Amino acid sequence: MRNLINLFSKIALNSPRVVSYNNSLRSISTTTVRNDLMEFFDDPKNWGAEEVKSGRSWKKDELRIKSNTDLHKLWYVLLKERNMLLTMEQESKDQARLFPSPERLDKVEDSMENLEAVVRERNTAYHKLETGETGERPGRMEVGPLGIRYYYKMSEYPIPKHMNKKWQEKYKFYKYDKDVEAFLLKYREKLYLSKRKAQRRNFNHVIGLMNRFPNMDMEAVKEQYPDVDIEKAKSSRKYKGHFLPK
Amino acid sequence: MSTRWYPIYQKGGPQLRVFLPNFWMKLVKPTQDQPPNIVQFACSMEMTKHDVKNYLEKIYNIKCVDVRTRIHMPKTRRDPGKGYVIKDEDTKYAYVTMPKEESFKFPDLFETETKEKIVEDHDKAMKQAKEGFQDFLKKNKDRANMPGWFTI
Repeated sequence: MRNLINLFSKIALNSPRVVSYNNSLRSISTTTVRNDLMEFFDDPKNWGAEEVKSGRSWKKDELRIKSNTDLHKLWYVLLKERNMLLTMEQESKDQARLFPSPERLDKVEDSMENLEAVVRERNTAYHKLETGETGERPGRMEVGPLGIRYYYKMSEYPIPKHMNKKWQEKYKFYKYDKDVEAFLLKYREKLYLSKRKAQRRNFNHVIGLMNRFPNMDMEAVKEQYPDVDIEKAKSSRKYKGHFLPK
Repeated sequence: MSTRWYPIYQKGGPQLRVFLPNFWMKLVKPTQDQPPNIVQFACSMEMTKHDVKNYLEKIYNIKCVDVRTRIHMPKTRRDPGKGYVIKDEDTKYAYVTMPKEESFKFPDLFETETKEKIVEDHDKAMKQAKEGFQDFLKKNKDRANMPGWFTI
């Protein structure tokens, strides 16, 4: 997220923007700022209410047409709203009372996620244009001490790796080990067996479906169970059922 | 700061700026009696005292004289059904001291339930249930003695 720092300091500060929105766009509207601890609480008329009406969350498309400064302001509005809802939820829980319309929390969190995604989009676009890289935190696939691959997130260190004892203790990568090889053999066998089991289960399930619903849409079945060979399933003896052929 | 990834700070480097902090704080009813200018918050586990101070001063415009934090570890208990030991998640609490002249009292969000209110709620629920049953009867008028799960 350091990239956000670059983005805001460069774009937000350098571009004197005059943007006029027409009325059809959704604009940021806030209540008057109270600037005290009562901001952590809902409007007093909603205290003890059974339902609080609220709108929907912000969509990505709506956020894309906002300026960086607007997004920045909106973030703080959402942050305060979330804090308020968390406070109200906690107090309701403690008093064993109803917390009205808990979906508000989900809406706020959804909006925050969307906002962050939009900022990230702008950030990568800016970095790709300027440096040719995404500007995201770099990383690579590594093999852990138990021979299992994982995504290693890189970060900055004040001293090089060979001097960094703490890093060496924390990050161990795979080196040949007899026991680990034996473990991997069994582990892979387990994965293989579970995969084969799932395949067989799907195969039998498709046969069952075909027996129960003779006029089924086979294209849909193929799409839902891509690993099942339909022709093979049709020639299976389970498909024919326990009756004499006509 | 926030839980995001920052470049390391080295002497002489530019000051780190925080954009889009994702910390949360909730004001909670104090577990122990406190002086009127001390407020108790539950906050993100990653927050430091400086973070709490900056968060309140910059975002909420609340002056903090002092901040103390503690991490509350709930008691372990037995799962009622399975019997194994379980524990709720730890919480970080921040005790924020505001200037001497300011005071805050946690408001009463819910009026105490009076007897009339309880009776009223009960009546309302009963009325709703009766209406629901009448609807059910109306729907099944033409098909008496059908099992309850049978519907179209």
